[in-house]
Amino acid sequence: MARLRRVRWSGMVVWLVLLFLIIIPVCAFVLVAISPRLFRQGTSYFTFSNITAAFQGYTGQGVVDSLLVATLVGVFAVTFATVIAWIVQRTNVYGRRFWSGAMWLLLLVPTWMTTLGWIDVISPGELLSALGVHTLFFFHMFFGASGIVFVLSTAALPFSYFVISVGMRGLGSEFEDAARVHGARRLLTVRTVLPIIAPALLSAFAISFAEAMSDFGVAFTLGSSSHFPIATYTLFNAIYAYPANFPVAAVIAAVLILSTVPPVFLQARVMRGRSYAVLSGRTKAVRRYQFSPLARVGVTLALGIFMFFVLGLPLLGAITSSFTNTASFITTTGVHWTLQSYKDVFAPLPSFTTLGPPLWTSNQLGIWVASGTLVLAYVLARRMASRTPGIGQRITDVFLLGSIAIPGIVLGVGYIFFYDQHFITSHIVDLYETMPLLIMGLIASSVPSQARLLTGPVGQIQSSLSEAARVHGASKWRAFRSTSLPLLSRALVWAWLLTFTKTISELAIAQILYQPGHEPASVVIETYLGTIFNAIGSAATVITLAEMVGVIALVLLIFRLVTPKGWRRIGEAGAPS
Amino acid sequence: MSRLRVQPARVQIRDLRKQFGTKVALNGVSLVVEPGTFTVLLGPSGSGKTTLLRCLAGIEQPSSGEIIIGDKVVFGPGKFVSPDKRELSMVFQDYALWPHMTVRKNIAFPLATSSLSKVERSQRVGDLLERVGIAHLADRYPNELSGGEQQRVALARALSARVGLILFDEPLSNLDADRRDQLRIEIATLTRDAGVTAVYITHDQSEAFALADRVGVLRLGELVQYTKPEKIYRHPKSAFVARFTGVSGEFAVSHVREVSDKRVEVQLPFAPHMFIEATKSENSSYDKDPHLFVRAAGVTLAPVTSTAGAPGVIRDVAYNGRGYEHVVEVGDKATLTKVYAADRFERGDCVKVMLDPVSCFVMNAQEEV
Repeated sequence: MARLRRVRWSGMVVWLVLLFLIIIPVCAFVLVAISPRLFRQGTSYFTFSNITAAFQGYTGQGVVDSLLVATLVGVFAVTFATVIAWIVQRTNVYGRRFWSGAMWLLLLVPTWMTTLGWIDVISPGELLSALGVHTLFFFHMFFGASGIVFVLSTAALPFSYFVISVGMRGLGSEFEDAARVHGARRLLTVRTVLPIIAPALLSAFAISFAEAMSDFGVAFTLGSSSHFPIATYTLFNAIYAYPANFPVAAVIAAVLILSTVPPVFLQARVMRGRSYAVLSGRTKAVRRYQFSPLARVGVTLALGIFMFFVLGLPLLGAITSSFTNTASFITTTGVHWTLQSYKDVFAPLPSFTTLGPPLWTSNQLGIWVASGTLVLAYVLARRMASRTPGIGQRITDVFLLGSIAIPGIVLGVGYIFFYDQHFITSHIVDLYETMPLLIMGLIASSVPSQARLLTGPVGQIQSSLSEAARVHGASKWRAFRSTSLPLLSRALVWAWLLTFTKTISELAIAQILYQPGHEPASVVIETYLGTIFNAIGSAATVITLAEMVGVIALVLLIFRLVTPKGWRRIGEAGAPS
Repeated sequence: MSRLRVQPARVQIRDLRKQFGTKVALNGVSLVVEPGTFTVLLGPSGSGKTTLLRCLAGIEQPSSGEIIIGDKVVFGPGKFVSPDKRELSMVFQDYALWPHMTVRKNIAFPLATSSLSKVERSQRVGDLLERVGIAHLADRYPNELSGGEQQRVALARALSARVGLILFDEPLSNLDADRRDQLRIEIATLTRDAGVTAVYITHDQSEAFALADRVGVLRLGELVQYTKPEKIYRHPKSAFVARFTGVSGEFAVSHVREVSDKRVEVQLPFAPHMFIEATKSENSSYDKDPHLFVRAAGVTLAPVTSTAGAPGVIRDVAYNGRGYEHVVEVGDKATLTKVYAADRFERGDCVKVMLDPVSCFVMNAQEEV
């Protein structure tokens, strides 16, 4: 009985944490849309007038634009990701590990960094101009719908790629063999086999759509100056306008959540009972399509050009821009390479902040958020992967799916709205404009996706492994330490790294919840954008990105050095390949 | 050999119940496993045998009842001893070998909390590796082993702790037929050499009879019969036990006449002019829906020219290495299966079928305790 009570208590604690972390702030904020007086934001206890207002003019256009952009991003990301995943996973293209690594790098680069990089590439007088390319047309195109769709598509590409890759890796060659043996030609074989990975394709679309809908980086950097309003930016504007319009912001927040919930749930429904994360032991090794030597070189080159275009060029733009300290890459006297921007990053003009302390703040945030997220996500993943599914597991599942669909900006605004309420600050706890509130917000935004990511690896561990440890004399802790932890170590390390890097580059929540005087790096870098000190922003971006890559390398090196060989032999399902 | 011997544990289970929501998995199971014996719990899927084993191991918590291992109450009113403190070991159906540990480390795992020195532990692991014949695989990882080798590692791990009780959860079900027979013998030998008490669950009656000192037959969460294997085979307590432990044929009979305390006479439904004697079940009646259950061992085939026996036609024949197993049609859609004969009868041959009263039982078909 004592054991049963403990189980219930642990479940209650988890839900209590989630209640204050996600449910109450978001629900309270969304409630303002129809009941502004409840939170002293208007005169009515119940009204639809804010909904009408939110769908008119600038904000209404933002919602329509966002839906259009997200749909296009989903289609583009899935299309390109399918082709690349097939080339990398199912052919003998050169450098397969390199291309997967490049996808990880693309995943780590936040959208605001990519946007910056592209501006550095195509702005008149910048990199491409220096190479003699007339970029004015592209420049104007970039500051509009096409630029936003392009950047968001490249950002969504790695999400789609990893989901589809797993599907393709799990697709044993026996299906192709069966089709070919029964008379199908190559095209019919593809048409026959492709539906088998339909769940992965749908899943990739849902993730890409949700990512595009909730993105703030592009909306903030590109949407704001392109006269193409995006919902996340109009929401931000509604809060930071004077006076702040929380009810209209709440309507936009509800629209953002509601628009991302259906694809995420549809994806989950299609995936039910056939998780793409779990590979059967009976699945045969993938047989790769063998290109001829010439075709192999050609496909590798094409892939290289594509990856250079989506990743190399914006990075190169940011890097080259960071080594010049003028508004333009070239001047009348030619290109002037200099380290001045890197010096300025740490000794800026009086109106700007040095990068050092903010980067340190970001790293501290990263460590706290990644560690907190890992613990909570693991607990939730354990509940999700329970051998005896019950109502609690189903509720957790639905809750996590719904929470993934909550954009960071909605969480951020929900936090400043709820935790700044008078009854909270004066009677419970005053967290407004404090570091703990920012950490809570960032954990809240990371936990749902990480919990679902970890559910795969956790679910793959047979319960008999820890039962065997318990039966053979291991305490609960020793059973976890000696069986579950080694098997999950790789997945846990990658979950931690992913959360850490995403926290450092996160802009939406950081921008809204940072403690004055303790700005994170992403907020500081953003202040350089759109100024004549763009080069300093680029240098700060390059330093931040290099630091993130450095931390990943360091953590992986430590993992390699301190873990036994057996730990590194397994758990690869949770790791990138 | 003596180095492996342990103090075997006595296991007492009293009125054990386990419910999953509204589903009753165990319904008042009581049994005593004597020290050093090999007990097999036999039952179809859903009979509760896995739940019973997991309750013994402490992986599942029963709803009520009592479990005593040795002289220690491990489950009872207000008491639940966790698996690590029950001093038992277990061989899992999927082997449950830790993939990140070598064979040596897997086997040494239960010794980590023992008071043995490093040298003693290493020596014990070495002994076991030799004993189960996998010394050459000591530094391999589980995924580098075959199913049979993995099962040997699981067995060695279970033996390494030298606890008084080993539980076996259908350990042979994932192996092919050849390996199954070989490993079954090794399990029986090693376990008995170690002197340990063993509780083994399976749904395979031949495996149960080959291994067990005592067999417990479970059905729908209840222990239907618990006795020596010979007694279960010769005196099944109910139609369910008879069917589950293997019958060659089952026929509804109409005329049953008691001829002695242990025998009845029945009219064969497929040869109305013939009457045979059959064994009267000790615990079952035959007054409602009497059926004749025939064990394969009690059926003999003779050429059609024989004067004795009921007529039949060979419908199928299979060579099993030692002789032939036949399927004999003895009436309208009534057949006897697995009928052994040293000589082959061809399909379509007319034969005579003789039944041994010792291997024929009369019981109510619907009476399923």
